[in-house]
Amino acid sequence: MNRATSLASRSLHLWATAVLRSEYLVLLLCGVLFTALAPFTPGLATASNFTNLLGNLAPLLVVATGQMLVLIAGGIDLSVTSTIALVSVVGAFVMNGDDGWLKGSAAAAPAAVMVMLGLGALVGLGNGLAVTKLRMPPFIVTLTTMMFLSGLAVWLTKSQPIYHLPAGFTALGSRLWLALPIAAGLTGFAHVLLARSLFGQWLRAVGFNARTARVSGVPEGAVVIGAYIASGLLAAAASVLYTARLETGSPVLGQRILLDVIGATVIGGTSLFGGKGKVLWTFFGVLFLTLLDNALNLLGLSHFTIMMVKGGVIVLAALMDTARNRWLAT
Amino acid sequence: MKTLIRLILTLSVVASSVGCNKDDKASTSTAPASLTIGVAFETLQTEYWVAGYEAIKAEAAKRGYKVVEAVADGDANRQFEQVRNFVTRKVDGIILVPKDAKTCIPMIRAANVANIPIVLFNRPADKSDTKSVAVVADNFALTRATVDYMISEAKKTGKRLKAMILVGDLGDINAVGRRDGFDAAVKEAGDTLEVVARVPTEWNQEKAQAGVVNALQANTDISFIFTSSDFLFPSIVSALKGAGKYHKADEPGHVILGGFDGDATAWQMLSDGYLDATGVQDVYFEAQQSVQAIVDLRAGKQLPEVIRDAGFVIHRSNAKEKAAQMWGANVSRK
Repeated sequence: MNRATSLASRSLHLWATAVLRSEYLVLLLCGVLFTALAPFTPGLATASNFTNLLGNLAPLLVVATGQMLVLIAGGIDLSVTSTIALVSVVGAFVMNGDDGWLKGSAAAAPAAVMVMLGLGALVGLGNGLAVTKLRMPPFIVTLTTMMFLSGLAVWLTKSQPIYHLPAGFTALGSRLWLALPIAAGLTGFAHVLLARSLFGQWLRAVGFNARTARVSGVPEGAVVIGAYIASGLLAAAASVLYTARLETGSPVLGQRILLDVIGATVIGGTSLFGGKGKVLWTFFGVLFLTLLDNALNLLGLSHFTIMMVKGGVIVLAALMDTARNRWLAT
Repeated sequence: MKTLIRLILTLSVVASSVGCNKDDKASTSTAPASLTIGVAFETLQTEYWVAGYEAIKAEAAKRGYKVVEAVADGDANRQFEQVRNFVTRKVDGIILVPKDAKTCIPMIRAANVANIPIVLFNRPADKSDTKSVAVVADNFALTRATVDYMISEAKKTGKRLKAMILVGDLGDINAVGRRDGFDAAVKEAGDTLEVVARVPTEWNQEKAQAGVVNALQANTDISFIFTSSDFLFPSIVSALKGAGKYHKADEPGHVILGGFDGDATAWQMLSDGYLDATGVQDVYFEAQQSVQAIVDLRAGKQLPEVIRDAGFVIHRSNAKEKAAQMWGANVSRK
């Protein structure tokens, strides 16, 4: 009897270890969440809701992927939300049909997208230079950038949203078959960059131990700057999708999604201490948060309940991640 | 990788089986015995929105309707997702308090495409190709009437007073209407008032307080203040107290105060003798009209694009008579 109990206990331990060790744990949690809530949640398991989910997931995945690259490098980018807002209004300045710089031109939308992406990369470059050349803490640099860009976006627009964007641009937000390939392409490129390139190896090496990486000949500064540029660029790409979806350039666009961006990245398994992270994990984390938000809304729970449940689940996921790391370390 | 494929296949099977059930159920359902109304608020940060939300819930409950709520916490993108969730849930109607007049247009379009009636509560949308009904206070007229009353009080002093206005978020068409109502009233009272400060608040209490403090330092003799929303009164009171200028109406040095909304703070200040007047939005009328508009739109009735709430001005002379209609007084009593 004792032997049987011991065998059962050992099997359970092995199974639990396998589950916790799996990099698909968060995906499994998504499955559990979906399966548990689907019977009670009106509309959750319908084709139209899957479309909603994908539409909600795409821009968040893009911006979270950029955040992941910076986190792997051992930094953090708190300015992504304000980058989204500033890029949104500048893009709208270029292409809007009222008094846009390229008003009425066929090149308005493509030019605006290029300006938006360029501006995002420029913000990232500024952050990267401040972190590497001035040796400022990433938290302070990007927090300051966040405040500055947020104020700049409001000042430029006098707090007024900008409407009348070209139909060719807003189609990026209203047509999933356009938004999804953009998000998939960008994150796919980030995956290749991280998993198959020398840059990816350098990025993890810098995040894991910057000093050792430097001694080993890794161009630490260039790698960190590259991560921040990628983050700014991806935030700008997310801004293109968000702006197109709302058909409006807004100076407060994306101001409330910072917790979702960082939360999804960390839930996926990217380490806040650098050196560890994958695009696939970030996808799982974004899927988990998006699904949770979607399901709780469909359940018709009150705003306050949703906030409490969401906060609790994020804490639980973080605790599970900690437990997993401890378990695997023993 | 094999594990991942296995997981995805399993999830797909579960999803498709549950999904088919739901879709089938939806497609075979008949007309609902009772309506389900999705109520999407941009925020519940101020008393007015909470009172509005409670009034809508009470009106729906009175009719036996179910309310499903969503609050976007100031995020227009999140609100867009919430409205799409309502569409997915196949609600019978949507009552929306948008963040601003422009970002709500794709939300209205999503409801239009799904043939779900949508009513904008207290904040109208900009002109567009979409169809909705807005139930809103007549911000311009009500503000003008309120400021006219304040000017009549100012005239009693026999002096030319220096005035300040706290302007709301100008992306909100209500804020624009209130600013214009103020301007129209003071334009005809040039001998009584000189507007020396316009404080942009973006509907933010901290910004309002900083702005009022700065304005009072630059113009120490400001003695006439209008705020575009009553929820900014705590910021004004704090700044006035700091400057030693917070006095009752019958005391020397009183600053003539007026606002818009009719919240509990305004009622308290009016009762205590500090506030001169405020324009009260009839939140109960607006809630009743919003729910009724959903019913009418579902019945195919033609409604005007905007249903106006005339509201009323409450001041010290008519406070007792009008208190029962003032939502802030009712909140205060609770």
